[in-house]
Amino acid sequence: MQIEIKDLSYVYGKKTPFEKAALHGVSLTVSEGDSVGIIGSTGSGKSTLIQHLNGLIKLQSGSLKVFDIDLSAKKPDYKTLRKKLGMLFQYPEYQLFADTVEADVKFGPVNFGFSKEDADKAAKEAIEMVGLDYDEVKDRSPLELSGGQKRRAAIAGILACRPEILVLDEPTAGLDPAGKKDMLDLIRSLKGSFLKSVITVSHNMDEIAEYCDRVILLHDGVLLSDATPTELFYGEDVEKYGLSLPHVVKIVKLLRDKGVVIPEVLNEKDLVKELKLYLERGRKNA
Amino acid sequence: MRDVAFGQYYPSNSVLHKADPRTKLIAGIVYIVAVFLCDSYWSYLACFSFLLIACLVSKVPLKSILKSIKAVLFVVLITVIINVFCYKTGTVLWSWWILTVTDGGLIFASKMAMRLIFLVVSTSLITFTTTPVTLTDGLESLLTPLKWIKFPVHDVAIIMSIALRFIPSFTEEIDKIMMAQKARGACFDNGNIFKRAKALLPVLIPLFVSAFRRADELAMAMDARCYNATDKRTKMKRLKFAWRDLFLALATAVFLALIIMLKCGFFGLL
Repeated sequence: MQIEIKDLSYVYGKKTPFEKAALHGVSLTVSEGDSVGIIGSTGSGKSTLIQHLNGLIKLQSGSLKVFDIDLSAKKPDYKTLRKKLGMLFQYPEYQLFADTVEADVKFGPVNFGFSKEDADKAAKEAIEMVGLDYDEVKDRSPLELSGGQKRRAAIAGILACRPEILVLDEPTAGLDPAGKKDMLDLIRSLKGSFLKSVITVSHNMDEIAEYCDRVILLHDGVLLSDATPTELFYGEDVEKYGLSLPHVVKIVKLLRDKGVVIPEVLNEKDLVKELKLYLERGRKNA
Repeated sequence: MRDVAFGQYYPSNSVLHKADPRTKLIAGIVYIVAVFLCDSYWSYLACFSFLLIACLVSKVPLKSILKSIKAVLFVVLITVIINVFCYKTGTVLWSWWILTVTDGGLIFASKMAMRLIFLVVSTSLITFTTTPVTLTDGLESLLTPLKWIKFPVHDVAIIMSIALRFIPSFTEEIDKIMMAQKARGACFDNGNIFKRAKALLPVLIPLFVSAFRRADELAMAMDARCYNATDKRTKMKRLKFAWRDLFLALATAVFLALIIMLKCGFFGLL
């Protein structure tokens, strides 16, 4: 078990007029190899939940264990935790600060105590991993890169630390369609190397349906469902919670309403395959 | 970052919250003048009682008010220390090397400390009970006479309200950036003061970049809506002087009169 959350609750601004409950008795576990998606409308507690994973928010009640590091302990080992659990925030390009891309990417490894050679090597590999040209960008200021390149540089800064779990908060927000696909394919390709599990927070249900094998639905700080994408999108009425269905699921549901019964699929390729099978069956019967 | 109490609005529906910001500002200035007129213990007691009543009326919890004192405790302490050692009239109570403590010094230092605390509490009481926007409106209205000498009152007011408006945004931004850099192993609470200052660079640089970006965007948005500070502009919420303002003004006037009389020994009447 890589992550074990039990009965986690959190209240912002405790004992002030601005008090607001963000999480309420959330329990879940993440095992090695999981690709977990977290969905929920704005203010459902997604961000609060993932910030807990990295010890960025102090535990108020409940218990939380990540890689056998007990976050309810008095002084948890934050350094090890943050090295092994990488976190990519929304719009990570706004956190670039160093003079050169290379120095920015090396910031994490240096903080985590990599030797100079190791940090250099990790930075070079990470920059290449995200598809940037190392020799071209390493001495440039991160602020003069293009939007998509900045995002890649920011991700390189996390990957250079060699995390075992990667937590992504809206990784594709603000990217163009090609950039979105590149980003998700990159994350998928990294899984299985040093990266063991990925947790993605997203509002894009198509991405969740296609890239995750488990989906967690949060609503008003309560965990409502922890199931496979098929179970969730075909079983639950997620629109009730201010979310939408993946467009493939919408099409399948509309087809079923018209009497075209095809299996529960989640991506375009499978949809086309099933439709073709359906049409062929119809031709045979005719 | 979120528990900065000094100058934070505390929502409630007390008389002080509803009062006109201009009344509160003038009452605040009058109070500050009164505090500096104080010399006898009775006048300090009067200042304290006036402030205490105002605090109770405002319905702001005393805990939040005490928090605003905590923010300037350091300044108060330094003032006390300097005054205790530098004020050299009165009987000497203790002396060593060049340091002497006199009873006069102790009394003077405690009076200074009280003055400072009164100042901080009274001004934070205004910000506790007035939203930044209303406060700027009130200030703009009070400064209107300066237009006669071509002082750009409205421009200054809009600059102030923009600055105030962005304080919470930037606090949030700092929070976010700090979290992101912490996630990359940055440490902000370790080492000596120079190390700590250096550790803040990864926060400050993105913050300034974002501040300039926001300024650009805001300027463009204002331009797009044809904002022009020189025109005669109307207000959505007009300030109104109500009975409670009259009451507040009268209470303050009585208080000031009391302090002046205490200072002048009731003009020999007592």
